Amino acid sequence: MTRGTASYIGQRLVLIAITTVLVSSIVFLLLHQIPGNAFLNETRTTPQSLAASLHHYGLDLPLRQQYANWVRGVLHGDLGESLVNRGVAITPLLLRETSVSATVGFYALLVTIGLGLILGIIGALRQNTWVDYVASSASVAGYSIPSFVLAIFGLLIFGHYFYIWTGGTFYYVPGWGKLEQIPVPALALGLPYASYVARLTRASMLETIRTDYVRTAWAKGLKARVVVLRHALRNALIPVVTILGPLITGIITGSVVIENIFGIPGLGKEFITSILSRDYNIVIGVFTFYAALVGLANLAVDVIYPVLDPRIRY
Amino acid sequence: MAMASVPQPSVGAVVYDMPKQVSLLEDAWRRIRRNRLALVGAGIIVLLFITAFVSIFWTPYPVWLQAVGPTYQTPTLAHPLGLDQAGRDILSRIMGGASITVQVGVGSAIIVSLIGIPLGLLAGFYRGWVDTVISFFINIWYGIPDLLVALILVFVLSDALKLIPRGVFVIILAFSLTRWMDVARLVRGQALALREREFVEAARMSGARDFGIVARHIFPNALGPIIVQATFAIPAAVLFEAFLSFLGLGLPSPAPSWGAMANDGYHGLDFAPHIALAPTIALSVTLMAFNWLGDGLRDAFDPRMRR
Repeated sequence: MTRGTASYIGQRLVLIAITTVLVSSIVFLLLHQIPGNAFLNETRTTPQSLAASLHHYGLDLPLRQQYANWVRGVLHGDLGESLVNRGVAITPLLLRETSVSATVGFYALLVTIGLGLILGIIGALRQNTWVDYVASSASVAGYSIPSFVLAIFGLLIFGHYFYIWTGGTFYYVPGWGKLEQIPVPALALGLPYASYVARLTRASMLETIRTDYVRTAWAKGLKARVVVLRHALRNALIPVVTILGPLITGIITGSVVIENIFGIPGLGKEFITSILSRDYNIVIGVFTFYAALVGLANLAVDVIYPVLDPRIRY
Repeated sequence: MAMASVPQPSVGAVVYDMPKQVSLLEDAWRRIRRNRLALVGAGIIVLLFITAFVSIFWTPYPVWLQAVGPTYQTPTLAHPLGLDQAGRDILSRIMGGASITVQVGVGSAIIVSLIGIPLGLLAGFYRGWVDTVISFFINIWYGIPDLLVALILVFVLSDALKLIPRGVFVIILAFSLTRWMDVARLVRGQALALREREFVEAARMSGARDFGIVARHIFPNALGPIIVQATFAIPAAVLFEAFLSFLGLGLPSPAPSWGAMANDGYHGLDFAPHIALAPTIALSVTLMAFNWLGDGLRDAFDPRMRR
């Protein structure tokens, strides 16, 4: 890593922090427009206990001061305290849930990129054969089927019809953390985007395998594996990498519904649970996490670029 | 169109006919007719629109009517898609869902275009600080999970503030407010490129005002990509509505949204899978049809693909 790269990453990190605060500020201000307060629905409140609750969370302060306190907290990594479960600090809770979501998301990304690249490369190398037609039509169908539909089908097939084999691994299990629970949610989350990657890879591979330097590589008598993976694929990957950013945003959005279907205790489940229970502090917190995650993912993509294309330098 | 090139009489004295002048839409139609997938997609979409229209006046049973038969009944002749957990006829609800789908999809595409096209044209044509401001929004929103912002918007506007009743309109509004950047980005790029072309310069020399140039010269020439982008906004909006309703944050209960129906079915998946299958298949087929049509339109409008 050169000094230029290091300072580039540093600048980007500062920008990510600013964007994260800006974006979650919108959510903060939106949610603080809501009239009344978070404790209105609680039964058995006396005016004294209500005032005490408001004071405890600093909700009796003017909005400007609440906002200043919140921004100060975010910049120190403190997202406050749950409104529903008093005493539960949000940052450690969300960090724990992020690790769960990230595990599923990582495997989903693996499915997306791995399967997408393999299908795309095969489709391009065997262009206009039945293999290509099967791979192409599968990917055309695949990117139209939303991940929550795939999740429902996955649950039906693996949780119900194959119940004897899977033994209720996915179905209404209270516990989470076994490795065998990951594949089906990860597939449901990753497959729609895998189709997208496959289409893109096929198109850009078709362009690169017709270039002169690939023909030269074949003519030199290089092994097929070397020509395809080292010469053709490396350049074909550049347009694929450009969509990694939106792809990761898509996987994060998709994880919200997937986690609710499979009962995975991650950020997405927390997001919906806290919206429905009106735990606004957690909603804002989850959103702050999401904004930061998307920012970091985009940064990671930009750092990969120069590896593939040495012409790009920071 | 640039297709009308001057015929060159060749040595063999073959005289070429001047190609007939065709408009953008005629040209696109000629191309798309050859694309089988796009035609199938268009056919499915026509069917969807007809179903949606019919469902306004007639469905086999009212979409909200409970206990028209035993709950969880599997498909029979009287109820081709079976009954759901409250004994409602699923076929009627699928038809009603088609109407919601069409409203959300078309409404969102229109509002996204109404916001995105003018802002994109402004940014691309005037550049300078106008462009800086609009591009700032485009760049910020490009890096955040926009559907989740839209989800919070729906929640805040309808549930918390009770400004707009929960329904189709608030979903369209929230979707459009977080998605216009897509269209704006595309239109801005087109406008940036088109404003340097000779015909724009010619129009300026002949004394056309800015509005005239944008409306008569830049916008019509960017129309192809705009139509494609608007077509792709439809499946995105439909998916957003299904996603919200599935999570219980979309349309309120008796509304026959496909997402909400999928959620109903999800709870009885192990003993009555037909409840979940009907809406999820309807949704997937609809999305596929719009994507096929969108792909076909993109190929039809793409000038690089011209023969």
